[in-house]
Amino acid sequence: MLVSKEDFAKYPFIIEAVDYVKSLDLKTDELSQPEFSAVVTRAETRIEEALIDGITKWESRSGYEIEILSYPVAVIFVSNIDDNYLKRRYALAEAKRVQALLKEDVDEKLIEIAISVFRWNVKSLPLEVYQPFDFSLSFIDYLRNAPGFHDYRWKLVNKRLINGNVFLQKDEFSRLISEEVRKHIEETIKTSPKVELDILLLQRIERIKQRLNLRKERIRINEQPQNIISAAYPPCIKQIYDFLISGQHISHVGRFTLTSFLLNVGMKVDKLIELYTPISDFNLRLTRYQVEHIAGVRGSGTKYTPPSCETLKTHHICPGPDDLCTNIKHPLAYYRRKIRMIRK
Amino acid sequence: MRIQRVKAMKNPREFIVQKFTEYYRENANNIALPTSYKKREFGFILFDKRVMLRHKAFVEPRFFRDFIKSITPSDVYHSAAYYKQPSRKMGKKGWIGTDLIFDIDSDHIRTPCKVEHKYWTCEGCDQAGVGKHPPVCSQCGGSKFKMVAWLCETCLETAKSEALKLIDFLVNDFGFPPQDIEVCFSGHRGYHIHIEREEIKQLDQDARKEIVDYVLGTGLKVSLHGLMEVIRRTGKKVIGPDLNDPGWGGKIARGVYDILVTYSLQQLKEINGINKNTASLIYSHRDKILKSWNNGNPWGSIKGIGIKTWEKLVETSVDNQAVSIDTVVTIDIHRLIRMPLTLHGKTGLKVISVPSKSLERLDPLRDAIAFSKGTLKVYVLAAHRFRIGEEIYGPYRKETVKLPMAAAIYLFCKRAALLTD
Ligand code: SF4
Ligand SMILES: [Zn+2]
Ligand SMILES: [Zn+2]
Repeated sequence: MLVSKEDFAKYPFIIEAVDYVKSLDLKTDELSQPEFSAVVTRAETRIEEALIDGITKWESRSGYEIEILSYPVAVIFVSNIDDNYLKRRYALAEAKRVQALLKEDVDEKLIEIAISVFRWNVKSLPLEVYQPFDFSLSFIDYLRNAPGFHDYRWKLVNKRLINGNVFLQKDEFSRLISEEVRKHIEETIKTSPKVELDILLLQRIERIKQRLNLRKERIRINEQPQNIISAAYPPCIKQIYDFLISGQHISHVGRFTLTSFLLNVGMKVDKLIELYTPISDFNLRLTRYQVEHIAGVRGSGTKYTPPSCETLKTHHICPGPDDLCTNIKHPLAYYRRKIRMIRK
Repeated sequence: MRIQRVKAMKNPREFIVQKFTEYYRENANNIALPTSYKKREFGFILFDKRVMLRHKAFVEPRFFRDFIKSITPSDVYHSAAYYKQPSRKMGKKGWIGTDLIFDIDSDHIRTPCKVEHKYWTCEGCDQAGVGKHPPVCSQCGGSKFKMVAWLCETCLETAKSEALKLIDFLVNDFGFPPQDIEVCFSGHRGYHIHIEREEIKQLDQDARKEIVDYVLGTGLKVSLHGLMEVIRRTGKKVIGPDLNDPGWGGKIARGVYDILVTYSLQQLKEINGINKNTASLIYSHRDKILKSWNNGNPWGSIKGIGIKTWEKLVETSVDNQAVSIDTVVTIDIHRLIRMPLTLHGKTGLKVISVPSKSLERLDPLRDAIAFSKGTLKVYVLAAHRFRIGEEIYGPYRKETVKLPMAAAIYLFCKRAALLTD
């Protein structure tokens, strides 16, 4: 059983930790009282760490209690800000923290979390006998998360699969759990009830929002290759691009349109994948595959061009044409013409 | 003479429909519906329209049975998926889960006999023939032809051994109990393998793709299965997996072992990336390598055969050990599959289902016969040799022969024969 405060602090999403917090019966309006200021501050730092470093820190110096309580508070904040990019980024950062801790923890803890929180079918392997493997996990549970990972070593075909079980080393198993943790936290944020926050907390939230916007601005600038003139993007591309940056869902056609457009105006495959990374950090393999496919690196070898305006209109991707749009039939034509206009 | 033939012969289409109708009238009550049939979608191909009647659902077996009796389909399918509302349009069905299915079709397997059993039929009339089609049809002058897949014993045997290989994967690697693996002969050129266990129903397409890649050996990296060069005190050395290793490691080792035992020098030379000299080197040291498999390290046993050469051998070994499955069938969670005990419109044979342990003994050309009564005189346009039941028939070319009903219907379905008056 995971019962120590240390465990709760490390893995605040486990049932026992959640129950513990519940048993304290805290109200959100109590949070602005001075005795909770350390908790609230830590919650804010958690989010800040997520935004800046992409991983929250394991902070045990100021006591486990603060760690335990600051997690649900951070979840309330993130859910209150209601920004998809932040939600994903935060869940990912917490998952990375958990992954690092699991790697160092004893095998029983990993097993306990996998079984009690996620109902996985897993066993720990007796030492020496199955060197270098530590765990055997049912391939069904393995496939719940591994297909999203990009490296070849995660492909089932490269695993030792015996009698329905995948043999894993500890760091691999930690990685799989942390992916499940990421989804779990995303779900927690999504289902977290809306709560009224008082002015003090709202001020903190404003601060986080500002940082979030700065961060988004930075991505926008960094990912922009020099010779590509984003000011010349047609409205449709601008819109999908903004969706992407803000972590909103993009339809398949939308993704295809953006990818093929950017490839055609000269963006490199790797740059493009980076661009997708903040929203699909755990699905790199698929992203790379799709992008390379559209770039013509894979499969048929044909490089794709974006769909015409007509197609984009039928797919409701055209946000309504602007003046220049009326003279063209294709987003790439828009781009070329606009560049000429800018250069004049 | 042409005119005379047309007078005396008749297109057998109505006859086939009549026979199929009889079959369903007599056998519909024995057709068991799949588990949770209420949640599945059913599909039918009709004789007159070559489109599929989809999105059918039945709340009771007798409704299904009445239905096939009344419409006489040429082919019958059900979904591998379960839906909340199976009769609604695809997007609105409400997916619950899907069985794990595999399709082994001899069309997708490279068999040497493929070229021998080419068969064509004319789109414009009922002319047909073996081999390559003529530039224009001698009867109607048309130039559109359809190539027809002939039922071939060699191909069927190959498909069966692929199915057995797949079962080995499913039992030993994936851990499915053999009694939960159902095998169906499709009634034509292949086998389906069907697993209904609860835990696999939720697997998404990405997960199914991983299973497919495992079975196909796609993306396999040999170094991750133990074949590598290591540095020892004595120098560089190649090490690799053992014959008894589980999973792909063992398959690779056994595959290389098989190559060493069975390949001729010529075959070794034909392996991609292995030059003549290396092939000769391997060939002349075969015994030594094979022996060292019992005691020692075969991968490092011969000087001059380095990691690069082994990798090439392993690639061929992976190809040999992999199972040729039709990938889309497994990945697509909305697939329809043929239903056991219904007829296949291209052969008049029935789909039959057996537990995996009986596959070895299954003889599809005997066990799948649906029309076992009576004989019929037919005019055969052209036919390769073929077997139905215990007898071998043909080859025929523009001749009238008396055949058992199953063989006659088979030729009719292949459009290889006409009805005589
Ligand atoms: S008209 Fe064409 S280029 Fe302009 S926004 Fe619509 S789809 Fe894009
Ligand atoms: Zn013709
Ligand atoms: Zn054949």
